[in-house]
Amino acid sequence: MHGPEILIPILVVGMLFIGLPWLIFHYVTKWKSQATITTEDENLLDELHELARRLDERMVTIERIVQADNPNWRALTGDPVESALEDRSERLYESERTSNRPARRN
Amino acid sequence: MTGLRTKFYLDRQNKKWLGVCAGIADYTGVDVTVVRLGFVLGTVFGSGTMLLAYWIIAWLAPKKPSELYDTDPAQKKFWQSVRASPRRAGRDVRARFRDIDRRLADVETYVTSSNNRLAREIEQLR
Repeated sequence: MHGPEILIPILVVGMLFIGLPWLIFHYVTKWKSQATITTEDENLLDELHELARRLDERMVTIERIVQADNPNWRALTGDPVESALEDRSERLYESERTSNRPARRN
Repeated sequence: MTGLRTKFYLDRQNKKWLGVCAGIADYTGVDVTVVRLGFVLGTVFGSGTMLLAYWIIAWLAPKKPSELYDTDPAQKKFWQSVRASPRRAGRDVRARFRDIDRRLADVETYVTSSNNRLAREIEQLR
């Protein structure tokens, strides 16, 4: 091996043992400095996820009960604002009626 | 300091050799066969650099703790989405809470506005 040929092994060894680890660790550090979450964040997220799942299950149960009670209950919910207003006035009227009556609580 | 479930681990239970490919698949949610194929092709065409990378990963990464193995598929998918983007996973959870809120509002509206059974029962109590 003479001349430029002697450079090839040096170059290859340099690339393999310096260039490649450099590249790998460059990306490892870059990847580590990215937005990671702490243990507390992780626990919080786990709890919220679990809570959402349980609430979802309960909601499905309640919807099934209501469905069994009245199959087309969704049509009755109608416009939420309107029905809420209607409902409120009714409740107000009822509360007036009950408050006018003499209290008969034990 | 990252959390226990958002770390990269070697998956020793689904391993073929050292569990690196199975670990990557478990971490990202990519199919394990695709990851293995990528490593094999990388080794063939990259004249062994992928093999070196494989060894380095196997040497650096910790083994997966045994208590993290028994998570169900839905849980696994959720944590994969957290690893991909914690912010988006958080937004997803918020969206689910909003969905529950909306459905609960529907049921509430129905129960309070329909004066059938409830009203009858209130009448009976008087």
